[in-house]
Amino acid sequence: MTTMRRFASSKALTLVLMLGLMAAACGGEDTSSEEVSAAQAQAATAQSEAAAAQSEAESAQAEAEAAASALAQAQADLEAAQAAASAAMEGDEASQSALADAQAALEEAEQRAAATAEASEEAVAAAESALAEAEQMLDEAMMEQEAAAGPVTVRAAITGDEATLNPYTYISGFPGWNLLMLQYDSLMQLDAAGIPQPWLADTVSVNADLTEYSFTMVEGVTWHDGQPLTAHDVDFSVDYYINNVEASRFARDLRGVEDLVVTGDYSATFVLGSPKAGFELAALADIPIIPRHVWEGVEVPSEHDFGATNIGTGPYKLVEYVEGQSYRFEANPDYFRGAPAVEELVVIVFADDAGAQAAIRTGEVDVIFERIPPEQIPLLDAQDPLDIALGPEFTTQMINYDASKRPFDDVAVRQAINLAMDRQDIVDTVFLGAATVGSPGWIHPEHRSYNPSMIPVYDPAAANALLDAAGYVDGDGDGVREFDGQPMSFEIITNAPDSLRLRIAELTVEMLAAIGIETSVAAVETGTWEQAVWPEFNVNNGRNYDIAMWGWSAPVQADPLRLPQLVASIPMGGFLNLTGYASAEMDALSAALPVESTEAGRIAILLRMQEIIAEELPFVLLLYPDGAYVYDSSVYSDWEFIAGQGIVSKLSLLPPSARP
Amino acid sequence: MTVADSRERAARRTARRRSRIPTLFGLAGGLIVGILVCGAVFAPWLAPYDPTERVARPFLFPSSEHLLGTNDIGQDLLSEMIFGARVSLTIGIVAAAVALLIGTTVGVVAGYYPKRLGSAMMRGVDVILILPFLPLLIVLAAYLGRSLLNTILVIGVLIWAEPARIIRSQVLSLRSREYVLAARSMGAPDRWTILRHIVPRTGLLATGSFVRAVSNAILLEAALSFLGLGDPIQKSWGSTLFWAQSRGAFLTPAWKWWVLPPGLLIMLASLGFALIAFSLEERINPRL
Repeated sequence: MTTMRRFASSKALTLVLMLGLMAAACGGEDTSSEEVSAAQAQAATAQSEAAAAQSEAESAQAEAEAAASALAQAQADLEAAQAAASAAMEGDEASQSALADAQAALEEAEQRAAATAEASEEAVAAAESALAEAEQMLDEAMMEQEAAAGPVTVRAAITGDEATLNPYTYISGFPGWNLLMLQYDSLMQLDAAGIPQPWLADTVSVNADLTEYSFTMVEGVTWHDGQPLTAHDVDFSVDYYINNVEASRFARDLRGVEDLVVTGDYSATFVLGSPKAGFELAALADIPIIPRHVWEGVEVPSEHDFGATNIGTGPYKLVEYVEGQSYRFEANPDYFRGAPAVEELVVIVFADDAGAQAAIRTGEVDVIFERIPPEQIPLLDAQDPLDIALGPEFTTQMINYDASKRPFDDVAVRQAINLAMDRQDIVDTVFLGAATVGSPGWIHPEHRSYNPSMIPVYDPAAANALLDAAGYVDGDGDGVREFDGQPMSFEIITNAPDSLRLRIAELTVEMLAAIGIETSVAAVETGTWEQAVWPEFNVNNGRNYDIAMWGWSAPVQADPLRLPQLVASIPMGGFLNLTGYASAEMDALSAALPVESTEAGRIAILLRMQEIIAEELPFVLLLYPDGAYVYDSSVYSDWEFIAGQGIVSKLSLLPPSARP
Repeated sequence: MTVADSRERAARRTARRRSRIPTLFGLAGGLIVGILVCGAVFAPWLAPYDPTERVARPFLFPSSEHLLGTNDIGQDLLSEMIFGARVSLTIGIVAAAVALLIGTTVGVVAGYYPKRLGSAMMRGVDVILILPFLPLLIVLAAYLGRSLLNTILVIGVLIWAEPARIIRSQVLSLRSREYVLAARSMGAPDRWTILRHIVPRTGLLATGSFVRAVSNAILLEAALSFLGLGDPIQKSWGSTLFWAQSRGAFLTPAWKWWVLPPGLLIMLASLGFALIAFSLEERINPRL
């Protein structure tokens, strides 16, 4: 027990340290905009109340003055009457009664004057105190507003370090790339529907045969250091990415670019070697533009010291990075689409999901920049200021097998595995329903290129019949089929830290057992797993696995025109083809897709490719986890869910008017 | 009856009373271990369900059908606890045996040849004892990968140093006893002397070390599995904790039936063996 406790306490210590650090980083708690505006409104009402009281007091005073003058009048009357009375010494009856009248009137006037004076004094006192109160409230509101004048700080949690977050050092496709793009801009930007819209580029046009993409740029955009952004920076960025291919996805994006012809300070044309549809999504909306004056002469970008910060054009500047602990982004008030709505973004690195969730429950962070696991959705949603942003995501969970070797080179085996998988069961059991059942044709049902005839079928009986017919029978009666004299017994390799994937692997073992394929789960470190499935991240290095659980990040699916990368044979450009699948028809379609000039023609090709994938199964797609993000709605709630990408983007942090 | 007489009797009485406590502890430890071992052996008859089978909806609260509810994919947690005893106790006992084997070998050799070989070996033992234990454990476990055998090896390889020291000191004293000297002076080969005269006499001490090592090994297995460095597919108490942690049970009411029971079982098992070891040590070495 002591050992365990030591572990727990060291973990807790790290957490406490992190929280402490975070608290220090955040300084005094800022008030949210709602709170300030509420206070302001309150102060305003108090002020108007005070004003009303004051005017009341004024009118009371006027009344009192009137009463006083009435009194003076009455006194004068009385004196006159007394004079008259003394004149009429003999005291005739009429003058006597007149005197009495005058005296009564005087008394009455005196009484009234006293009462009014009292009332008016009271009113004045009330008005004064109301005024004082109003002033105090106004002061408080002003102070609060001042405190929040760098208005909102949002504290976000991530669960892994992302290094120094420049285009050559960021680590994960999500949320690393997303955080990278807070500092940089690309020529185009995805809107909420996931469609690229002009961004740094003002207009984008393409010629009829899809080989020239021309753009003009927004003028007056400046880098964080004040230098102007021009088409020459774009030119430099493109050259730089193409010439520095190490560990960069951007060089891949720019494949086929022969030249970027700069036609003016704010206009240029990409010249492609071959027609390429979807260049907007694949490249223009993906590659960050880097400043020529900073990057010129940088030879090893992943090791270069760029000093304290990265210079981009984006809405945020990275002002502080503590390795393995936190990032602090400050808003760029001169951002060309308008100053961001969130003044400061602090990103804290947590050791795991549980730590991040504990932190948001206790209010230590305001949002988690990771999908929250399905079992936590109802629990977190039930807690008061917390809300959930839900939407379709294009990440995937799938089964890969080495389709280049026995027995997976046989389509019948792959089809049998596909039929044996009860996707609905996996969605319900492991994801508690918070996932979308996988289309056997790869593309998400919510995606605009989805082929609606792709229906997953679960039919283990048909799978067994298929294997029987193909000659994979259980000859020795041990419950396991044989191929080429060996039992169909394989290891399913998966990365242990992904517990949901591990559970899917366990269910897969169960489902494959039902069709006579024996499997066992090997849960290994993420590095070992990647090395087995995708050695050196280069498909030309082959594969060292039989069956593997796998998943792609969202961009691979978000752009359907990347499909050839997954399914074209390796020499034909299938550089994400991890299963070694090859098919002549698929290669032909893969070659045709990027040169098809009409949208309708491209959709037709994509529909056919999905049919082939569902038929020949280069991999078995199981499901798409739904995106669920938790945020504290009392701090900031303007999160924008980009279909297939989630909430981590600059759109979420810009005021709605600045979003595309 | 003289004064001295009664004093003597009183002293004897306290001695007896003192010796009774370790015996009671030993009995209690034996009882705990006995129950757990019985649970492990008769698991298939005791457990209401097959722990590897999904028998109900996931994340069920405790009910009369599932006394401890179900885990994240709908397996019965009570059955998981009962079958978990098998893996946890097996790893504990086998890892301790591995440790004892290494420890005894090193201890006997180092004690019998105390000069160069012995002191060189003992420096090695010192290094093992000095190394920060848990980081080393984690690095080794991560490097070797996840499997039952690796878990046993990693634990065994790390906890042999203590038994080695204890046994060496015993051997040092044994090798200068008259009968050993006599045998050696008559030309008995070392191997014969060691196996005939030395090793059997370390047996009692070794038993004590072994039981203590089991107690340690059970804790270490739980720690490794909880950190996800054990085999997460094997149903041990530690891996139950790992799943509870990775599926958020520590943050929800489920900790009462998903975290507490395996935690208590690990504690009980470790305590049981520790109590036995304590009472054994009292017997073997009454000066303690």
